[in-house]
Amino acid sequence: MLLANVGFVNDAHSAASSKGMPGIRVIGETVPCESTIIADIEEGVAAAMKDAVDALVRPLTAEEKSPKQQTGKSPRVAFKGTLQEINQFFYRKGWGDGLPIIPPTEAAVAEMLKGTDLPPDHIMGKIIPRKGKATIEKIAINAVMAGALPTHMPVLIATVEAFSDPKARFDTFEVSTGSWAPSLTINGPIRRDIHVNSGSGSLSPGNIANSAIGRAVGLIVKNIGGARKAIEDMGVIGNPGKYSLVIGEDEENSPWEPLSVERGFTKEDNTVTVFFPNSFTQTVPGGTDAKGILNTLVTMGTTSMSSVILIPSWAKVLAGEGYTKQKVKDYIAEHSKPVVISGFEEVTNPAKMDTENLMILVAGGPGSFIGLLKSVGPGFFNNALVTKKIVLPKDWNKLVAKYGNLVPIYERY
Amino acid sequence: MLFISHVIKTNLKEKETDMNRLLSALFTGLLAVFAFQGSSMAQDAGNSGTEKQIQYEALSPWADVDPIPMRGISPRLDSLKGKKIGLYVNTKRAAMPMAKSVDKRLKEMYPDIQTTIFQSTEPNVNEIETKNKEKFTAWVNDIDAAILLVGD
Repeated sequence: MLLANVGFVNDAHSAASSKGMPGIRVIGETVPCESTIIADIEEGVAAAMKDAVDALVRPLTAEEKSPKQQTGKSPRVAFKGTLQEINQFFYRKGWGDGLPIIPPTEAAVAEMLKGTDLPPDHIMGKIIPRKGKATIEKIAINAVMAGALPTHMPVLIATVEAFSDPKARFDTFEVSTGSWAPSLTINGPIRRDIHVNSGSGSLSPGNIANSAIGRAVGLIVKNIGGARKAIEDMGVIGNPGKYSLVIGEDEENSPWEPLSVERGFTKEDNTVTVFFPNSFTQTVPGGTDAKGILNTLVTMGTTSMSSVILIPSWAKVLAGEGYTKQKVKDYIAEHSKPVVISGFEEVTNPAKMDTENLMILVAGGPGSFIGLLKSVGPGFFNNALVTKKIVLPKDWNKLVAKYGNLVPIYERY
Repeated sequence: MLFISHVIKTNLKEKETDMNRLLSALFTGLLAVFAFQGSSMAQDAGNSGTEKQIQYEALSPWADVDPIPMRGISPRLDSLKGKKIGLYVNTKRAAMPMAKSVDKRLKEMYPDIQTTIFQSTEPNVNEIETKNKEKFTAWVNDIDAAILLVGD
């Protein structure tokens, strides 16, 4: 039997079911999570002991002895109704994210599928915790719901592929109490084709690619992976980045090689790089020369699994003073204090801090701020940055011609 | 900036006819969703029903899963008296002090009980997929029942 905090009982049942043992007895206890206070631990354990012992001796029910096999299939058509009825149905089923959705009709999904040459029943992976089959069609359905365009499909498919890579440790980050959000960095010519914002306000709402791709990812995580807030996704505080955290690198205005090239691809390759930060901070540099910028990166608490977002002008200052991306990383590593998480000293192992998973990204607009997305690793969860190539359909140019001119036009007032 | 805006506008006009029907439908739909949501309370209060609304057939976003072999849980013990109870502790920091508390209380309740603690070392990995697989399997085979403590 399992003793779990009362807030994690549903999560424990989902985890047990997904492993084929739905009958595991879970007893809720009231020890404050991750408590360091022995008196509180003793009190919580004492209150749960009677039930814990009972769970070990109470005879099994028929269902506990022999749980019923579930088919694992859901009806292809979920609901018929008006726009409002569909939105309310999906919301009540827990399939939404709180914002209105576009009904994933047969026609809309068929159009979305033009974004790939893969067949609808092709499985890109099984997404945890539910091990839902990420077929191309299910990805497309969630993409339609999010308001994504068919030209976004290749990015979504590559992202699901990245999630399926064990190195990403999606299994941990997506459901963790740490509220880690999937961060997508897009490189290559596709950024221009689909208008991924890498300039001013890259991480703000307002661009379909940055917004809808991230939103679709969130729906995929929920509806294909089965990571539902406060049931399986146990993020304590939550994270606005789970709505969308998509950025492109401003390769044209960067003095350095793009992230994709650093990661072993060519400049002509389209790639998406995935990691899971849980905090985003921004500050102005203490000085606008190289040392001023670099020392600011150190004081911001850059970890070995971070994305440093430098505006083009700061990148040019650094490059002008002889700093490559690697030299910037080396400076940070050399001058940063090791990050030690209390209670996890053995697994954080600060002595091994390296720069392999540290991203130096050029993006952002006019101004002075530096951005930093922070995660943990690689020592913590044996995790790593994962970069996947984005594969375009053969009719890509045709598709871009259809959707490529969709850009906001702001008029003066 | 104004010049760029003008060029984009011009391009947009030139290509507008090429815009996909779905795109129009998507945005019309999105606008309609906002409109409907904005007026939902009023509609609930008294929709005349005279306005014909478009019906959609929405596909399910919920993924299928492969059927997995279902297993029942182990038979329960008649009593914990004289039994060997395993306490499995994950990497969360409260897990070990909780295990020690459980251990102490079990021994108070059943003086002849035996306990043994297994400390996991890799966060969020199935124990049988870690380097401790053999040690863990041996531990499981040596106990009569297990209590898992996860520190959350």
